[in-house]
Amino acid sequence: MIEVRGVSLVYGSGPAAVPAIAELSFSVEEGEMVAVVGPSGCGKTSLLLLLDGLVRPTSGQVLIAGEEVRGVRRDVALVLQDAGLLPWKTVRQNAELALRIQKRRESVDGILAALGLSGFERRFPAELSEGMRRRVGIARALALRPRVLLMDEPMANLDSLTRERIQNLLLDLWWEMRFTAVLVTHDIEEAVFLGQRILVLTPRPARLREVLENPGMGSQEYRGSPDFLARVRALRRILGENG
Amino acid sequence: MKQVLAYALAVLAVVAGWSALSYGLFRAKERVILPYPWQAARAAGEVLDTLALAFGTSALRFLAALVVSFLLGLPIGLALGFEPRLDQYLAPFVYLLYPMPPVALLLFLYLAFGLGEVVRLVVVVMALFFQVAVAAHGAAKFIPASHILAVRSAGASRWQLYWHVVLPATLPSVLTAARVSVGLGITMLYIAETKLGILLPPHQALGRFIEYYTFRGDIALAGVVALALLGLLFYVVLEILERRLCRWKYVGVKGGGS
Repeated sequence: MIEVRGVSLVYGSGPAAVPAIAELSFSVEEGEMVAVVGPSGCGKTSLLLLLDGLVRPTSGQVLIAGEEVRGVRRDVALVLQDAGLLPWKTVRQNAELALRIQKRRESVDGILAALGLSGFERRFPAELSEGMRRRVGIARALALRPRVLLMDEPMANLDSLTRERIQNLLLDLWWEMRFTAVLVTHDIEEAVFLGQRILVLTPRPARLREVLENPGMGSQEYRGSPDFLARVRALRRILGENG
Repeated sequence: MKQVLAYALAVLAVVAGWSALSYGLFRAKERVILPYPWQAARAAGEVLDTLALAFGTSALRFLAALVVSFLLGLPIGLALGFEPRLDQYLAPFVYLLYPMPPVALLLFLYLAFGLGEVVRLVVVVMALFFQVAVAAHGAAKFIPASHILAVRSAGASRWQLYWHVVLPATLPSVLTAARVSVGLGITMLYIAETKLGILLPPHQALGRFIEYYTFRGDIALAGVVALALLGLLFYVVLEILERRLCRWKYVGVKGGGS
């Protein structure tokens, strides 16, 4: 579904050039959920912008569904860090935003209900808890019924209970809607809970350091199981090695 | 309710202060310098038709200037603030012209536009346009990147970006700036209606009304009060507009019940 072929990304040019991604290659199967982890500032967000078509690679190719990505695709949706809600729009208007921009008239009632946001449609983001705001951000992306869902640390800076709740919700929605997902996170347990495979990136510029298979993921019971804990330890060891 | 009471108290205080000042000046100079409030009120009754017409015409004139200032200043300010390349080349012009007082150019404006309605509109717009444009420019420069990313990642066009993000993000500061500029606008209106309004009859401009009755202090003073009320009217209208259009700014915040 997603193919990244020898992609490099350099911001700026000349002596001020900052390489963000170097010679990165990987692929994601249709319906697969892949977690991407790496040291902070390593270019994980840049990778999502590339996949979303908001940034063009300096060299290499990004393909989605067999086509080279040349701009924002309607079957790809992005969940932003800190939800990226517009404070002047209500919950409903925020959830509808991406649909309306694409001139689509579908209702968001279903997805708001699935994310436990029914009854809050007329509230503004300032009136919501942080956990609810993140769910609105997810609703806005899923309202598009995307084939590919890109997520930029959707659960960062949440208290652990809220974080686990949203992780469980995301897992349910993934089973139900069968989208292909790329989850960027710096939370090791989150990566093991939600990633069928876990791509570990090097410090900037990002290269692929290791791929950790994680076949056990897929149910809520996985969290806390011995297998889960072993993977968390393994991942922690890999990440610890580069300090 | 509380706010209504506060306004009633303020009116009482102003009337009391005005009366005290009139009395003090009368005792000091031993002749009428400043007529009492009730004298001004009685005088207003005498020429009520003229005063009401003058108020209405001036209000329309100010409204027209405000609308034109928004229609010109908002798009120009937003585009300059949001498009770095435009900003680089055109913002210096705005800031160079911004401090220039239109009052200093009255002669040239008169020569260019004559003494009709257009020149009065131009003078008030020249003052308000810059207030709106500069506020829009400043606010558009500091829109959080995540708001822009939110619509760009959905494939928004430039027009949609302005509609969904740039305009609503900057509207509160622009409306506040416009509200604060009402005082300046009223001053410009007065100047336009006197210096460039000498051909007008008193019922077609509050400024002209005040000037026309220079030698009837009580009537002129009633005109000044009307001018102050005109300013208050627009201040309140702009505040209501801001509360309506920017309701999101006030949610969760405890505001005075009005």
